[in-house]
Amino acid sequence: MSTYNYVVTAHKPTNVTHSCVGNFTGPQELNLIIAKCTRIEIHLLTPQGLQPMLDVPIYGRIATLELFRPHGETQDLLFIATERYKFCVLQWDADANEVLTRAMGDVSDRIGRPTDNGQIGIIDPDCRLIGLHLYDGLFKVIPFDNKGQLKEAFNIRLEELQVLDIKFLYGCPKPTIVVLYQDNKDARHVKTYEVSLKDKDFVEGPWSQNNLDNGADLLIPVPPPFCGVLIIGEETIVYCSASAFKAIPIRPSITRAYGRVDADGSRYLLGDHSGLLHLLVIAHEKEKVTGLKIELLGETSIASTISYLDNAFVYVGSSYGDSQLIKLNLQPDPKGSYVEVLERYVNLGPIVDFCVVDLERQGQGQVVTCSGAYKDGSLRIVRNGIGINEQASVELQGIKGMWSLRSATDDIYDTFLVVSFISETRILAMNLEDELEETEIEGFCSQVQTLFCHDAIHNQLVQVTSSSVRLVSSSSGELRNEWHAPNDYSINVATANATQVLLATRGGHLVYLEIGDGVLVEKKHAELKYDISCLDINPIGENPNYSNLAAVGMWTDISVKIFSLPDLNLITEEHLGGEIIPRSVLLCAFEGIPYLLCALGDGHLLNFLLNTSTGELTDRKKVSLGTQPITLRTFSSKSTTHVFAASDRPTVIYSSNKKLLYSNVNLKEVSHMCPFNSAAFPDSLAIAKEGELTIGTIDDIQKLHIRSIPLGEHARRICHQEQSRTFAICSLKYNQSSTEDSEMHFIRLLDDQTFDFISTYSLDQFEYGCSILNCSFSDDNNAYYCVGTAYVMPEENEPTKGRILVFMVEDRKLQLVAEKETKGAVYSLNAFNGKLLAAINQKIQLYKWMLRDDGTRELQSECGHHGHILALYVQTRGDFIVVGDLMKSISLLIYKHEEGAIEERARDYNANWMSAVEILDDDIYLGAENNFNLFTVRKNSEGATDEERGRLEVVGEYHLGEFVNRFQHGSLVMRLPDSDVGKIPTIIFGTVNGVIGVIASLPQDQYVFMERLQTNLRKVIKGVGGLSHEQWRSFYSEKKTVDSRNFLDGDLIESFLDLGRSRMEEISKVMSVSVEELMKRVEELTRLH
Amino acid sequence: MWKEIGDRQSGKLRPNSFISRIRSNRASSLQLSNHKEIVSPHRGAINSLQVDLTEGRYLLSGASDASLAVYDIQHATDYEGGSFDHHINVWDTNTSQVVMDFKMPGKVYRTGMSSLATSHMLIAAATEDVQVRLCDMASGAFSHTLSGHRDGVMAVEWSACSEWVLMTGGCDGAIRFWDIRRAGCFSVLDQSHSQLGRRPPLLERSTTKVTTSRSFTPGQTSSSKTRPPQKKATSSSASKHSGSSRKQKQRLHPGLLSSQDRATAHYGAVIGLKATEDGMYLLSAGSDSRLRLWDIESGCNTLVHFEITRLQTTKAIQLAVTQDSALVFVPCMTSLKAFDLWSGKTSMTLQGHYEHVNCCCYNAYDQELFTGGNDRQILIWSPPKLISQDVDEWDGRTGKPPALDEDNWSD
Repeated sequence: MSTYNYVVTAHKPTNVTHSCVGNFTGPQELNLIIAKCTRIEIHLLTPQGLQPMLDVPIYGRIATLELFRPHGETQDLLFIATERYKFCVLQWDADANEVLTRAMGDVSDRIGRPTDNGQIGIIDPDCRLIGLHLYDGLFKVIPFDNKGQLKEAFNIRLEELQVLDIKFLYGCPKPTIVVLYQDNKDARHVKTYEVSLKDKDFVEGPWSQNNLDNGADLLIPVPPPFCGVLIIGEETIVYCSASAFKAIPIRPSITRAYGRVDADGSRYLLGDHSGLLHLLVIAHEKEKVTGLKIELLGETSIASTISYLDNAFVYVGSSYGDSQLIKLNLQPDPKGSYVEVLERYVNLGPIVDFCVVDLERQGQGQVVTCSGAYKDGSLRIVRNGIGINEQASVELQGIKGMWSLRSATDDIYDTFLVVSFISETRILAMNLEDELEETEIEGFCSQVQTLFCHDAIHNQLVQVTSSSVRLVSSSSGELRNEWHAPNDYSINVATANATQVLLATRGGHLVYLEIGDGVLVEKKHAELKYDISCLDINPIGENPNYSNLAAVGMWTDISVKIFSLPDLNLITEEHLGGEIIPRSVLLCAFEGIPYLLCALGDGHLLNFLLNTSTGELTDRKKVSLGTQPITLRTFSSKSTTHVFAASDRPTVIYSSNKKLLYSNVNLKEVSHMCPFNSAAFPDSLAIAKEGELTIGTIDDIQKLHIRSIPLGEHARRICHQEQSRTFAICSLKYNQSSTEDSEMHFIRLLDDQTFDFISTYSLDQFEYGCSILNCSFSDDNNAYYCVGTAYVMPEENEPTKGRILVFMVEDRKLQLVAEKETKGAVYSLNAFNGKLLAAINQKIQLYKWMLRDDGTRELQSECGHHGHILALYVQTRGDFIVVGDLMKSISLLIYKHEEGAIEERARDYNANWMSAVEILDDDIYLGAENNFNLFTVRKNSEGATDEERGRLEVVGEYHLGEFVNRFQHGSLVMRLPDSDVGKIPTIIFGTVNGVIGVIASLPQDQYVFMERLQTNLRKVIKGVGGLSHEQWRSFYSEKKTVDSRNFLDGDLIESFLDLGRSRMEEISKVMSVSVEELMKRVEELTRLH
Repeated sequence: MWKEIGDRQSGKLRPNSFISRIRSNRASSLQLSNHKEIVSPHRGAINSLQVDLTEGRYLLSGASDASLAVYDIQHATDYEGGSFDHHINVWDTNTSQVVMDFKMPGKVYRTGMSSLATSHMLIAAATEDVQVRLCDMASGAFSHTLSGHRDGVMAVEWSACSEWVLMTGGCDGAIRFWDIRRAGCFSVLDQSHSQLGRRPPLLERSTTKVTTSRSFTPGQTSSSKTRPPQKKATSSSASKHSGSSRKQKQRLHPGLLSSQDRATAHYGAVIGLKATEDGMYLLSAGSDSRLRLWDIESGCNTLVHFEITRLQTTKAIQLAVTQDSALVFVPCMTSLKAFDLWSGKTSMTLQGHYEHVNCCCYNAYDQELFTGGNDRQILIWSPPKLISQDVDEWDGRTGKPPALDEDNWSD
């Protein structure tokens, strides 16, 4: 049962909603403060750029973010108001480097209707009061006393019902607001009011202006000496004050954001809906405004906020594309743009749709999102893994092996890098300029391929080639000894450590040598039945230079054998089964536990627990890491041992809490790897990949890596087809010509590796792609892309016509094979029992895939179900259909085979306006709704009456604070069947703010434990601004607010790991569970994402 | 619709504006429902309709034949099957048994329970009697009798923002506000007390002139009413005082100024009251065929002129308001009209009943309107559903084809 769910953020929100600049952390320090819906980030401006200082979650969706400075303060305070009517005033504590809460409170009212146009929060420039417009017809005032403390709030009636913007005017003896509003006849006006704090009422203000631009939407108050207001319309910009009225026409555009450049307010940056940045200048003679001028500067991401930092540097925050740090140049570039983009900050929002694919068939999903909007639309490939920070690279083709060597046994750094090719061996070394340069070691044979190299004791090096083993002095480079393989018995594979060499020759001969000071001694020889494919004598015992065991992988009988050293006695033999030979074996110890790892030629990896005294192999486990042969190597990072498995899907194997874990490395195919810890590149790895040798460091934790594919158009739906290795997307392109905006809609086919458009199908005029599905039908082995569309006619309220298009990919082209007209928009498509289930306006319709007499195929409707307002989201499981309605929550339908009919089984009678649904298991369904909540409902099959059975019971409720557009089953991490987390089913969701989250259904005992931890964490971790976590997570809608239940906040629980030791102990004491146990259990959960 | 859904998905349209846009679109497209129908079991005029507040699933109707019926409006089926007999009965809807019975001194016009009340279970009863009685369901007895009206009381309405505030409208034309925790009524609405001039302009201009001429305009548009202009001017200046000193007024209650106590809201009986959901405005209907919109906090008449020609005068009527306070539905003789709340303009006229419409009830969950009239019918008005009727799309087995019985109502 998936009743108990754990919700955690894998990728934090990146949609920048607010930003402001001021002296927050110190009187001399200039800060940029960014709000990303539920988080704030504080940055410091330094000559080197923006330096992050703090990134904290806010228990609320930020509606207002304003800096202000009360009288007598030397630095700014931060005012935050949330959409759920909480506010707080924050102050920087320079000693503790954290924010302090100076004031907080609740500004909700029972009376009034929440505003449709968003909440407005403004602060009087002279710091006399804070004004809030939260409900239609009410203006809330929080006055300051003369010490800068907040006093009791009160409401003033605002007669203007449709308020578009309110701002405070500068330079007024009494606090004065200017209100932009729309009247009954849709005309727009501005009006001013003085706030009389004594009477708690408005007094008519000094001026008003009627009948403005019909698109006027934004007010910009202009500071002294002008003290007027700019009214930004779609076609005109007006400067207005008691004494002046100046207007200029502008190119039609919707201005979304502004940033003030000068303190005197004579220049402003305006960002519009198409991403164009303009400079607005108020021309003036002394204090008299003489006119306005506007100039196009260039193009940026579509701005949601603009903050002018300093010295022509500007921060452009965006909701639809990446946020940017730009510089405004004095001279235009060749394209005529004054804008230079210095840095881009990734933004995944809005994630309109996404799909989870396992392109490498590894059991690890990667998420491909439809991100961004308008011109900033893109696909983003989000993948969890360990990153390699490339530091140097050289082009080298055909690398067959790599080893790093030291110039002296006790040297801490590696000096040489031996690179072996098919017919030669090259030696690279760091020169004095810290560059990698080709060099020579005199005693090494460089005309042939090297099979193995290693440092040996007594300042010696070992090189194994197909004909001999050479012992070379590491200081002088001279050859000190050589062991020759007998004629006709060339060496196939070899391995060595500081004191031992083990090699195998043709014909199954195993030879064991020991290294002395200048001598190589053949100690033992054994003949095996078959040829040997791989060897290892990595020391895992107490002596780091000597191994008591040797692991040998065999051809023909497909086995691994363990021999004792030095006597080469066979002590264990393990047959692997199957037909794939072992290609690499490795003895290694993780957290003191010895393991034998054995990699096969087909990308599978076996691991065994190894008993070092008996050589016994137990606890065999098998995982798939890739499809190509794997080469295993150890390396150490932060003084713990890791194993690097080089293959087509490079993977790092490590251990935590005595469990083996596997992390993807964010690289394509890697053929060889060796640690290369040189003075210039400490703790680095040398990595050989396709035609290239790279030296880089490796991240110590895995994280999400995002690759961006800019489309220049807005992708709305995506799905993947395994068979053709393609993605198909529904996208729309905006053509913003000067006369009229038009949209073009396409179905595009993309290659799943290169993400190039390989085929395009244009939809008709007014036809929108609404849904897309990869499916196959019964009695037909082909895979099809089905696309649902709608004809959106400007005069129609609701689409009355649409199509279902069935495409096949032939020769990497989209071929339309069938088409079916529908009576409305096809909001959703699902594969259902070898048929196609479509949600068309208020109807669920099932189509059969029929073979016509002429051999062509067509969709034929079989049955349908009415009874929805709009069936927007549909998921299926077996014969069950779960429908998320526009406004009638979730209902459950069942398809009856015998009758060939769809019937309603049950529904949830709550009035939830849905945004996504998913089926967790047979009985539990998950929904996301319009007020940023999640909930689960349960099918009640055991109900006593029809009434009870016909009702979906709400079992879980939670306020996520994010608008979920899509749920998908899948996982961002590798799911191994043997690990605990591998058994926990997970769902990934994507939101408007660019959040990728994971919902995991926990077993009950784990849930109960974590719930206790959450309750205790709430007491220890206090929300920023004194906001309550419990209130934040309570289910909140127009009708009700109830405590969250059967959902846990993973972000809070996982923040346990960031606590100081003393606070961890505090919690450990209350829960009577040791800190280590708590950490272990929380760490387990962190591995879900 | 698709566009709005797309804009919501990309974050361009705020989720709450999405809801209000769709709700108002749907509310403005109401028509006789083509997919739901109620077969009324009543043998008398339907006087009252109410949708349950928790799920919006059941509709309750009360008729003059002393019968009650409950309908499941989600599944559009008849589910089962207070009054002029001087009683108020409290029913347990699960068992359909009368659990309580209050004997009233006269005909009961209307009853009301507060939708927000958490600390009381009171039913306010408007009867022929001059007193408003509060029946306590906890004890089964009358807990309050509110005296003030000089004639029978036809309308009761609980405040939408305070569980203690009750508004009543009487045949004496008065609308009284009661705080049930205190004795006496604390406010009486005065139709001549308008909002104009409440906020004096910053500069001392010739204020009185402006107010008189402006306040006169609505009067002029309706030529049926003639009011002496001086009286208007004085009362509006008087109201200025009372408006700015609300506190003082509160202190005066329970013994309101006698001049205020005699104020009237309508020339004639108040036959219907409805508060907007946000708790800021009150609508009243009078037998003078007027609908007035009141600002509750200040008690001002907003002077919105509703284009009403005639209301029935003898019976209480039930009004309904959409959730976003954009439309008010008013039974106007045999039709039901929807008016824009802020301009008073007619936005829809719903014709369907053969006789007078008595009551209407708006279901905010589904944007559906129910009306009941003297013709014993309950009609459902809903946003149109596109129902495909081609043979290919339609499967006869899944249900009966939608019978569009609009011909019944062609007029």
